Amino acid sequence: MGGGGFPLPLCVYAPEGFSADTLELPGLMDFYFLLGFLFSCVVSGRKVFAGYPIWWSLALGQQYNSLASRPILCGSIPGLVPKQLRFCRNYIEIMPSVAEGVKLGVQECKHQFRGRRWNCTTIDDSLAIFGPVLDKATRESAFVHAIASAGVAFAVIRSCTEGTSTICGCDSHHKGPPGEGWKWGGCSEDAEFGILVSREFADARENRPDARSAMNRHNNEAGRTTILDHMHLKCKCHGLSGSCEVKTCWWTQPDFRAIGDYLKDKYDSASEMVVEKHRESRGWVETLRAKYALFKPPTERDLVYYENSPNFCEPNPETGSFGTKDRTCNVTSHGIDGCDLLCCGRGHNTRTEKRKEKCHCIFHWCCYVSCQECVRVYDVHTCK
Amino acid sequence: MAGAIIENMSTGKLCIVGGILFVFQIVAFLLGGLIAPNPTSVIHSTATKCIDVQKNHHKTKWFMPWGPNQCEKISSFDEALKRQIEANDIVFAVHIPYISKEMNPWFQFMLSIMQLDIAFKSNNFIQENAMVTLDVTMAYRNDLSGKWTELARSTEQRKLKCKLPTPKSQISEGHYYECDLIPLIELGSVAHKYYLVNIRLPVNERKKVNIGIGEIKDLKLTTIFQNGGFTKVWFAMKTFLTPSILIIMIWYWRRITMMTRSPVLLEKVIFALGISMTFINIPVEWFSIGFNWTWMLLFGDIRQGIFYAMLLSFWIIFCGEHMMDQTERNRLSRYWKQVGPIAFGSCCLFIFDMCERGVQLKNPFYSIWATDVGTELAMAFIIVAGICACLYFGFLCFMVFQVFRNISGKRSKLPAMSKTRRLHYEGLIFRFKFFMLVTLACAALSVIFFITSQVNEGHWTWDGTTVQVNSAFFTGIYGMWNLYVFALMFLYAPSHKNYGDDQSNGDLRVNSAEELQLTTTITHADGPTEVFRLAGKEAQE
Repeated sequence: MGGGGFPLPLCVYAPEGFSADTLELPGLMDFYFLLGFLFSCVVSGRKVFAGYPIWWSLALGQQYNSLASRPILCGSIPGLVPKQLRFCRNYIEIMPSVAEGVKLGVQECKHQFRGRRWNCTTIDDSLAIFGPVLDKATRESAFVHAIASAGVAFAVIRSCTEGTSTICGCDSHHKGPPGEGWKWGGCSEDAEFGILVSREFADARENRPDARSAMNRHNNEAGRTTILDHMHLKCKCHGLSGSCEVKTCWWTQPDFRAIGDYLKDKYDSASEMVVEKHRESRGWVETLRAKYALFKPPTERDLVYYENSPNFCEPNPETGSFGTKDRTCNVTSHGIDGCDLLCCGRGHNTRTEKRKEKCHCIFHWCCYVSCQECVRVYDVHTCK
Repeated sequence: MAGAIIENMSTGKLCIVGGILFVFQIVAFLLGGLIAPNPTSVIHSTATKCIDVQKNHHKTKWFMPWGPNQCEKISSFDEALKRQIEANDIVFAVHIPYISKEMNPWFQFMLSIMQLDIAFKSNNFIQENAMVTLDVTMAYRNDLSGKWTELARSTEQRKLKCKLPTPKSQISEGHYYECDLIPLIELGSVAHKYYLVNIRLPVNERKKVNIGIGEIKDLKLTTIFQNGGFTKVWFAMKTFLTPSILIIMIWYWRRITMMTRSPVLLEKVIFALGISMTFINIPVEWFSIGFNWTWMLLFGDIRQGIFYAMLLSFWIIFCGEHMMDQTERNRLSRYWKQVGPIAFGSCCLFIFDMCERGVQLKNPFYSIWATDVGTELAMAFIIVAGICACLYFGFLCFMVFQVFRNISGKRSKLPAMSKTRRLHYEGLIFRFKFFMLVTLACAALSVIFFITSQVNEGHWTWDGTTVQVNSAFFTGIYGMWNLYVFALMFLYAPSHKNYGDDQSNGDLRVNSAEELQLTTTITHADGPTEVFRLAGKEAQE
């Protein structure tokens, strides 16, 4: 399939999705917008509309750090659709947190899938950081979309608390004398803002009427809902003599590991869907329906997919599978990380390794460990 | 006729007065619900991790998280590990408030609560009874380019109460502990625009300082302050209520002094209640806008405490004086058993408050709960106060029961009485019950609102209009007790019909003996009044 002709029909109707502008970004002129749109279509070829976003490659770029002095150039981020480009230019301040959020998501994905046949492998020298694995609408795609959009929301909420960003929630929609928003009624919760940013930015490209877009939208939203669901309410009493006559409560974020654990559970219980086509005024629209009517239909917190995953046992450049050859396995485990399952029945090699290790350590709360050195012998099992 | 206005007022007029008070009550609720914002606001801050590169821990240097003189910072401690930076070189810096915002005297107070994000590691976990030692300094300035001035500096110890939500095994590595909040700062006034908090967690292996506290990932500071809008509405309310209560108080006392008899205990107590209400109402907080009065928080506690003590004493005396048994009370010393616990309990809470908020005037980082001895002492005070409260409510309930028993006793004798006397009796009992009902309703309303404010999320929205429930509760309850005191002084003021004109009526004179008996039995509180009246009547005849 050539890069030239194919993307055009998809590009043409993409602007329809621009109606839902909840952040009320200052509008650009239509002409300019169209120009930029066509430009991005032509330059990035079919990659703009790969199964998953190319801008996730932000996660691997070390330079996009919230403390980096070098500003992010919106034009240099690959694979942004015009709406995202516009967002990036208007809210350049929070783009480092968006990048950090995706990074957080990818790290968590690697942690959650560390012992599995597909271990969330990323490819450093490609813009499509997961290779072709996520091009199909599999469970893995569902998980990565959810964790990435959750990561963006999480990182934005967190960066708002660093206090250096002027657009986080304050001064907005508060009554009282004009110009006194903050003095009159303080700030609103940062959580809503983080969710809003994630929705605006991560969902911007998922406006096509095809099944994959519907799936990505659903899974992105599931990730964000998880963030909101896992917020803890903390309260402080400060009334008469510190009694609870006056009490102030606020929401705090959980650690991202808890989000990862929860979404991993959702990955295991993800709902399989079937694609249905409807004819509507704007053309063919694909929607998803639960495949098995017997099971409970998926809620907004569940992950959905409609294509089966490859088995990831053998390397296959087409599916993007690396195979499990030479992967370390756990000989005592009967789970997926055990040598039987991970090596897909091919058996494993065993070698002994002497490792110098740190032991009897005294830890400080940060950055310093004083240890003795011990030598330990390990058996290392790798798949054939 | 007996003394108070409530007894001489017709039911119609009583309804009108009730209606007017009810309207004011609704206004008080709407004031908070529709005009005021939420009572308090929260600023979440994640501390910036600065590195003290100069290694001169003695010289005072302020670490700014952003701006022109910002410190050298690291994004995570993994970076510090690579660069071989030690725990002692790390300073957590928090600027309050956010960039491009400023604090304001209208915020009234400022509390900061610390939260540590500690990741679990199977070889570096939080030990039992871990304590964290903090070197905290706080500074302020009033313009963005100015120099920081030190506000307070202290070395504080706090208990680290954390638990891991998952089992302590290899799989849980990287999970964060769930830790109790650590109260850190309490300021009684917000006189400056910008505040800066620098926190160090010095490590000393030999003295076991900050050892065994796990691997800290982040330090978060949550700052609570009162919203400026709420303060304005609150001040406006106080400024309006002060003269209202003051005027009715003067009117009430003039009525009492106009009589030739000396005031009775109940009248004095009502007057004292009025004084304590005015004491709360006087809007001295206006001065906090111009002056840096850090003791405002403590002063507010004292004023509230006095009012509560007064209100509780009033209820006891009110019941006692309506007992309708032939005992002569009318002296405060007769109530020592009931008022004693109130006084003692209040004293306990006062000492506790002085230990906490009093010391905080000197050291804003102080917390009585930080040490074991302090915690035990504080708990002792609170438990004693709690016992006093239980004792008091036991007495109160018993007295209310006695009053109602006496009333029903009187009621059984009603059919045997003459018609006028019976009607009068019934009216009196009805009005007494009415007042009991109002008191009970006020108390119940306060309790219900208190419970609701503990569980609800602070605001309700009905098609676009947001109602700030918490603010409505504060203004509503505050207004309610003001109206209660107002109504009390108005309805229990001595009536004009008491003296002079009423005795000239010939028809009444027939009943005078009966009436005399009646008033002595029901409002024996007016004992001296009766003596006076008896004397007056005899003189007349």
